[in-house]
Amino acid sequence: MASDITSAAPTGWRARHAGTIRQWRLYAHLFRRSFSSMLGLFLVVLFLVLAAAGPALAPYPEDTMGAVHLDNRLKPPSLAHPFGTDEMGNDILSRVIVGTRTSLWIGLIITGVAALIGVPLGIFAGYMGGRIREVIMRITDVFLSVPGLALALAIVASLGPGITNCVIALSLVWWPGYVRLIDSKTLALKEELYIEAARAIGARTPRILFHHILPNCVSPLIVKASMDMGMAILSAASLGFIGLGAKPPSPEWGAMISVARSYMPDWWWYALFPGLAIYLTVLGFNLFGDGLRDILDPKSRGR
Amino acid sequence: MVLFVGKRLLLFGFMLLGLLTIMFLITNVAPGDPAKLMAGQNATQDMVETIRREYGLDKSLPEQYAVYIGGVLRGDLGRSIVSTKPVVEELLRYFPATFELVLVAMGLGILIGVPFGMLSAVYRDSWIDHATRIFSVSGVALPAFWFGLLLQLYFAVHLEWLPVSGRLELITPPPEPVSRLYLIDSLLRGEFDTFREAFQHIILPALVLSFPCLASILRVNRAEMLEVLQSDYIVAARANGIPAFRIITVYALKNAMLPTLAIIGLRFGWMLGSTVLVETVFDWPGIGLYAVQSALYSDFKPVLGVTLLIGFCFIFINFLIDLAYGWLDPRLRTQ
Amino acid sequence: MKKFVMLGLAAALLSTAALPAAAFERVGDRKVIVFGGRQQVPVIDPHVRYDWSIRMMQQSLYDAMAKYNGNPAKIEPWLAQKWESSPDAKTWTFHLVRNAKFHNGDPVDAEAVRYSFERGLKLNKGVAWMLKDVLDPSGIEVVDAHTVRFNLKSSYAPFISWIPWWYIVNPKQVKANEVDGDYGQKWLTENAAGSGPFKTKRWEQNVLYELVAVDNYWKGWPQGEKNRPAGIIYKIIREPAAQKAALQRGEADIVEGLTPDDYDQIKSTKGIVVQSHAGMTTFGIKFNTQTGPTKDINLRKAIAYAVDYDSFVKVYNGAAILETSPFPQGMQGHVDVPERPKQDLAKAKEYLAKSAYPNGGIELDYYHVAGLEEARRIGLVLLDNLSKLNIKVNVTPEQWPNMVAKGSKPDTAPNMTSVYVTPISTDPDAVAYQYHRNAWGQYFAMSHYNNADVNALIDKARTLGKWEERAPLYAEIQKKIVADQPEVFGMIQNRRWAHRDYLKGFAFSPVRFTGEVDLYPLWIDAK
Repeated sequence: MASDITSAAPTGWRARHAGTIRQWRLYAHLFRRSFSSMLGLFLVVLFLVLAAAGPALAPYPEDTMGAVHLDNRLKPPSLAHPFGTDEMGNDILSRVIVGTRTSLWIGLIITGVAALIGVPLGIFAGYMGGRIREVIMRITDVFLSVPGLALALAIVASLGPGITNCVIALSLVWWPGYVRLIDSKTLALKEELYIEAARAIGARTPRILFHHILPNCVSPLIVKASMDMGMAILSAASLGFIGLGAKPPSPEWGAMISVARSYMPDWWWYALFPGLAIYLTVLGFNLFGDGLRDILDPKSRGR
Repeated sequence: MVLFVGKRLLLFGFMLLGLLTIMFLITNVAPGDPAKLMAGQNATQDMVETIRREYGLDKSLPEQYAVYIGGVLRGDLGRSIVSTKPVVEELLRYFPATFELVLVAMGLGILIGVPFGMLSAVYRDSWIDHATRIFSVSGVALPAFWFGLLLQLYFAVHLEWLPVSGRLELITPPPEPVSRLYLIDSLLRGEFDTFREAFQHIILPALVLSFPCLASILRVNRAEMLEVLQSDYIVAARANGIPAFRIITVYALKNAMLPTLAIIGLRFGWMLGSTVLVETVFDWPGIGLYAVQSALYSDFKPVLGVTLLIGFCFIFINFLIDLAYGWLDPRLRTQ
Repeated sequence: MKKFVMLGLAAALLSTAALPAAAFERVGDRKVIVFGGRQQVPVIDPHVRYDWSIRMMQQSLYDAMAKYNGNPAKIEPWLAQKWESSPDAKTWTFHLVRNAKFHNGDPVDAEAVRYSFERGLKLNKGVAWMLKDVLDPSGIEVVDAHTVRFNLKSSYAPFISWIPWWYIVNPKQVKANEVDGDYGQKWLTENAAGSGPFKTKRWEQNVLYELVAVDNYWKGWPQGEKNRPAGIIYKIIREPAAQKAALQRGEADIVEGLTPDDYDQIKSTKGIVVQSHAGMTTFGIKFNTQTGPTKDINLRKAIAYAVDYDSFVKVYNGAAILETSPFPQGMQGHVDVPERPKQDLAKAKEYLAKSAYPNGGIELDYYHVAGLEEARRIGLVLLDNLSKLNIKVNVTPEQWPNMVAKGSKPDTAPNMTSVYVTPISTDPDAVAYQYHRNAWGQYFAMSHYNNADVNALIDKARTLGKWEERAPLYAEIQKKIVADQPEVFGMIQNRRWAHRDYLKGFAFSPVRFTGEVDLYPLWIDAK
């Protein structure tokens, strides 16, 4: 029985993992000491809660699916509509809340796809070295040489607007960063004694890659991914703003601002709140990532 | 050293070709038909064909690619189908505006980023450090288009302190072109009113553009300062009784500047890319606005031209930084 | 100390005193009118391209033999003082005025007219489609220095309705600037060789375009020589918010691109006048009648009965009228078709039951031009309306070029596409022809409508010379089209401009494009 097993092991889970726990406690302590890291954590958690519970928390969930209340247009913030209403008479608060989910998806997919392409390429390049590395890294450099937004603009302009195309474009722009990061990390790890030892006792390449190199890349990867979440959300919103983003009626912050800007300045609330949402989300992920870097990867700070 | 430069040059050429190929392929997936659009709403099929022939769009894709590459080698980036003019001519017309904007933004970034980076390092972990950190992360996190709108509406529309958009007032003729940067040209001609006007027009877009770059300058400067402040010779200088202010501004800053310069170079190319958003908000007649406007008409030669130009600047600056490092650190040359 | 100097300098640079007070621009003692518009003017060659901003410039720089004026639009003599046609509408003779001069002093003569029409036809761009089927360059005949005759290939009654859009260029100037036999296209892109009331001055692409009034313009000035402006500046202001700010601060005297809410709000502001006129631009939601679910006429009818037409007008805050037939109300030959659908859910369900989708359960695409606010909102209205039929609507913004490309073939045309169409002339043929089989491939024919009866009627109506014979045919055409429901007939929005109250001489004419203003009679009435 399960309970027997735990009680049978007198040392228990806690004791077996005492080292790890101590390490994490230290991390948590370091993290807590920093005000900006905690602010980041708070914002990220808030964002995740809103994304998870979205429609349940929104006061007017039907307003996020394309309801039309033309008699209730552009009302200033009030108790009934704390963030005011938009040009279709929809509650802006509800749309901002549900927009969190759209943004979370965008961020997750872009960073996920980018990491899925970038990490294997990076490990491969770093481990194999030589010609192969040269080729991979030069291709990466080509992609890195165009500022992401300009490239994404060209891609979306030719594929057509819409969230899917936005995500495709931004994923294509995002992966080279991961190749660079993982490549340099792998290069450094390759020379480490324990890897050489593993190779000497006849471990095969996949085993070395998966058991020795990959786990050691995890902490810089987490740091980069958490910072990238914010930046990916910001970039998607930027494309939305140019008019190449999400389709109506699904609420997307960038697209909301894009519509709202023709209602400035008299109907200021329309643009203000979605913009604040983007700002706080990106700020949260950045501060959080920054805090993680300080404790997980202190050497690379400032880079 | 010659070998090192030669190798880098070869790589430089390779990267440009790669960039060109990728961009050419991407822009040609588009289903849109700019020839049809430019022929006009009632144009007949043979009128559309006339335009297609004129712009070489009737050829097969590989042929178009060959023609384009051949043109690029001769310094010809094709013709814009919207304006009917050569893309190179238009880039020359719009680039100075962007360049001026980026220069001023970079200036602002350095003027604000470096001192705050120093402060942050000197008062490490104090409230100044935390405030600076949130401020610098904010720089990255603020959506440029939104922040730009807010500033524009507050300072230009609400307070009426600054103009809403553009580079100069309507009736003001641009200063006689020397560098085509209005700020410099007006000074050269001694037209101080024009200078003031140009400055009022550029300050908001430059501020918005400088924010993300300011953040990274600040961070790098802070990190480098921290390292330098802990080094032996600073400790020695301190022991020798040299005043703290002098140590920080003269000895430490000097040593922290090199990596800061590198990041400034990197950020330069990056800023050229983000002008796309800022120029749209402020109606700034530069290459970013040109690219967006052309993209909306499926006029892809200008989009290609702008991305190439930005990519070129980016690669070129990296190339210069590489050379600088190679020159400073002889070990890199043999790699 | 240095720091304080720097601060002081910065303060001086930013000081408010440096901003010009709200006042009009001047050159000498004459005023310059500032027009704030969203669209650039990349090309001004009159035979190469036209859209509203381009044609506004062309109309100011060039003259044609006749000109559209007034509401309803009438064709007035301009460079031609009179004209006559043969009874079969095949031969047209124009008599030119004697005093017209190009900007460089050359007289406007019959040869200039012949050359201009020949150039338009040979370039095969821009306006060429209007006449290329009926006119050959060899059919243009210079009778004497002031008489020119057009021998058409076939009878064509609407011929005169196109004449105002064919501007006359100075052949000598054009030929002098020819490069590699390009008919001077390269030069005419940003230079003008015309006889119009204005000349080009400053031409900063994407920023502003400045016109100066011509001294001693051959036709004189309607506002009087004393009042005429020194010139016009057309400034590109892309954002509605920026346009509004510019108007309120007096930096622009007239703007064209505000949102409906802005117009509503600004019209009560002191010193600002809003012009709001019923135009001829129709809005329709074109069904794909050849492929997909909308091929089913019962489904099309069901949708047409489910739509809340009042909200089409509400989207414009009331500044629009509903269409009562496929022809706009201002068009010659328009009749009300009483059988057109109005919102009636019971009827909608009845038609749906008859269709292949009695219970709905389908998803239809609705395409609109990315960035066109009103079309997007109508999409949302449609989404709301059709949910009652259990039909889902997929509102999709698309770049205009891609949308045109998609809509040019029945296989790729979306289920529903929202399209604004402005007829180019006052002749009903201009609208009717959109429903002809030959129009397939054009953006206004995205429904790929094909009815043999309608085709035959349109063909017949355009060859008849007498209006009394044509009118009943057009009434018939309108009824037949409504019965087939190739689109949801939408509304005709008002064209709107906002200008300062001291701007005088504004004259609306529905035949001009949205946004286009006749700059010639404008003037500023203020000290």
